Amino acid sequence: MSTTANRPRWTRQLAGLIRKDLRLELRTKETVMAMVLFAIVTLTIMQFGFGTRDNDLTRFTGGLMWVTLAFTAVLGVGRSYVAEREQRVLDGILVSPVPRIVLLAAKAIAIVIYMGITELVVIPLVGIFFVKGPYWDSIGWIALVALIANVCIALSGTLFSGLALFTRARDLILPVLFLPALVPVVIAGAGATHAVVGGAHDMSEYRGYCLFLVGYAILFLLVCIATYDAVFDD
Amino acid sequence: MPECLVSARGVGHIYGERAAVADVHLDVAAGERVAIAGPNGAGKSTLLRMVATLLRTGTGTLTVLGEELPGGARRARCGIGYLAHDPLAYLDLSPRQNLQVYADLFGVQDADRRIDDLLDRVDLIARADDPVRVLSRGMAQRLALARMLLHGPRLLLLDEPHASLDVGGTALLDAELAAMRTDGRAAVIVTHEVERIASVADRLVVMRRGRIVVDEPVAGRGPAQVRARYEECIA
Repeated sequence: MSTTANRPRWTRQLAGLIRKDLRLELRTKETVMAMVLFAIVTLTIMQFGFGTRDNDLTRFTGGLMWVTLAFTAVLGVGRSYVAEREQRVLDGILVSPVPRIVLLAAKAIAIVIYMGITELVVIPLVGIFFVKGPYWDSIGWIALVALIANVCIALSGTLFSGLALFTRARDLILPVLFLPALVPVVIAGAGATHAVVGGAHDMSEYRGYCLFLVGYAILFLLVCIATYDAVFDD
Repeated sequence: MPECLVSARGVGHIYGERAAVADVHLDVAAGERVAIAGPNGAGKSTLLRMVATLLRTGTGTLTVLGEELPGGARRARCGIGYLAHDPLAYLDLSPRQNLQVYADLFGVQDADRRIDDLLDRVDLIARADDPVRVLSRGMAQRLALARMLLHGPRLLLLDEPHASLDVGGTALLDAELAAMRTDGRAAVIVTHEVERIASVADRLVVMRRGRIVVDEPVAGRGPAQVRARYEECIA
């Protein structure tokens, strides 16, 4: 019997895995809905916690936004292998000739998309809740730093969720590993946001934080390339 | 001389401090169907998972489809079809969508037509767009059968393949295993259904405490004789 499969192209494998994750999310709406609701609730609690509307919290905007997004990311990343684990599909994926780094890339891209959707709600809400000065003219810059930070979150998050996948206490281990790794992202994200909101347009500071995030993403990309085969094959 | 699709030399695997598989020597040639039987914990599924590239060998050398593992695992996977206890399907996707995922992963050509053909063969075409979650266990296992055959693998690795299959599914699987004798494929079947070995396998391998204790042809034996021989081996 001749085989009906060729040596598969990684681009097709990647597209197939991303399509699968998005289809699952469209059907169940579990991850993105949970992330958006969690972020809204967190920001609302912070809005009440930090006092009345008379307080100008503009200078805390970056911190409030990025702490919220960091915890939201833990929620999203924690669910990234739920379908494979709970529905016992992982063996089917691993017995296919897909490079393990393609598995990581597919999960990371899905997380970037989920974080992006969450930020579509979070970024305007932060402006409404906490900023008294100019905000909306900076929204493009905030979106740009969010996009870069999303790549950082996705790369580190997918690596740690892959590591936690094969442990028994995975729900405990993931936040313990992942949250400390997010500290640099929170610092840089908050710093970059602070540099452009409330009328301040310190582009040199903004650029510095963005470059720091790019460096973080490259570092984690290299770590992922070096370790991901071992994560799944050992 | 038929091509050797699986060659294990002194293969072993240790879980913690317990040797699940130890010093296994096994050859599977093209056209051969090898049944592995043994009591629970004998190491059958561990050995199958090693051949399926899902578990690394601790000792010895394992060559699958001409590729030495673990280095050649990715190339070997192109020709492996794996049927497990679970259907290995996303419950919230339909059978068609599940097969599309695997067609992408294995690089199946003309995937839509191939998927329709297989869904028709396993009698799931009418339920092709329902979520797997609402299918019966037997239907999900038929989907697993279609998934295993999707990319035309040369080596089929089956772990308790008849469990959960209904009469139609069993007939389909047995026909597939019968066809393998002549088309150059091979199968390794892990099973507890010893009587069935007489009809689906050419060789009986019995494992006990991680080691192969018997490896001999089935030819000429009926179900009762195979059962008697098996019980003699594990006594």
